[in-house]
Amino acid sequence: MRCHELEPLIEAIADGTFEPAPEDRAHLSSCAACSARLAQAQGIEQWLTSRDAPQPPASFTVSVMARLGQEKWKTERVVDIGFNLAIAAGVLVILAGGAGLAWSLGFFTIEIDVGALLDAATAQVEGRVMNQLQTVAIAAVLLTMALVLWWWAETATD
Amino acid sequence: MKSTSEHELVERCRQGDDTAFRELVDEYKGMVFALVARSVPNRGRAEELAQEVFLKVHKGLPYFRGEAKLSTWIYRIVVNALSQERPELATVSLDDVPEGEDRERRQPGADDRAFGDVVLRDRLQKAIERLPIQYQVLINGHYMKGMRYEELAAALDLPMGTVKTHLHRAKRRLRHLLETEYR
Repeated sequence: MRCHELEPLIEAIADGTFEPAPEDRAHLSSCAACSARLAQAQGIEQWLTSRDAPQPPASFTVSVMARLGQEKWKTERVVDIGFNLAIAAGVLVILAGGAGLAWSLGFFTIEIDVGALLDAATAQVEGRVMNQLQTVAIAAVLLTMALVLWWWAETATD
Repeated sequence: MKSTSEHELVERCRQGDDTAFRELVDEYKGMVFALVARSVPNRGRAEELAQEVFLKVHKGLPYFRGEAKLSTWIYRIVVNALSQERPELATVSLDDVPEGEDRERRQPGADDRAFGDVVLRDRLQKAIERLPIQYQVLINGHYMKGMRYEELAAALDLPMGTVKTHLHRAKRRLRHLLETEYR
């Protein structure tokens, strides 16, 4: 028995999964290097067996559940964005369909002086708005407030 | 945990029951945290990584077929998470000759045999952190209560017969590291 033959068996002898043969024992008792290696392997074994497992902090489960909540929220947000995009795409398809239908019915070929028509409409609207300026201003303020509230509610839930 | 109650717990988690998932975290946090913290020296990062393991567990539960024990499956997720965290130690082949193996080794002295000393324990811990991830989780899993050879074999995707061999190799490499680098 030589040192290099015993070397691969040191750990198995140290943890008790290999029973050394008489010649192994004889070598171990006569070879200082091998007996020192065995002692070191036994020391490692003892240390591995006796060391305490690191404990998670008391708040660990709460932290995991909080992160899980954040992850769920992110997923829901992706779904929300996807839903909104789908709605926008649907509206575009409807508008495009309407335009296509109008084109196929020949509405775009009717000759109208669009500029004159718009001028007349703008003049009419201006006249009516000027008559009820106070009402229009109040409606504009209310609408702005509603939009600000909606924006605040959206950002507050983020 | 008994297999019936484990199965019920998994089913409840799959149905979106947060209380059930909380129970699952409470049941396995000790194992997950111990495995992670023993391989990742920074405690804050270890905690973060252990939390990420549970997020992966939650995400993967719908695909858990129940062929292995839940603990084995979670253990595998821990191994993957640690491999991603320390890729330099994950790609090392377990059959390669380790760095420093051929270096001249010092004969262990009397100091090395008494591991009661704090400095020596620190040397051992540092040496463990240098081992390939598979060796680390093998040693840490084996010496942690409750992990049997069968579970280690399943988790590390190793034949049952080679688990003991790899465990001995891991400890031998640990001893060599102490003899060469952490004197």
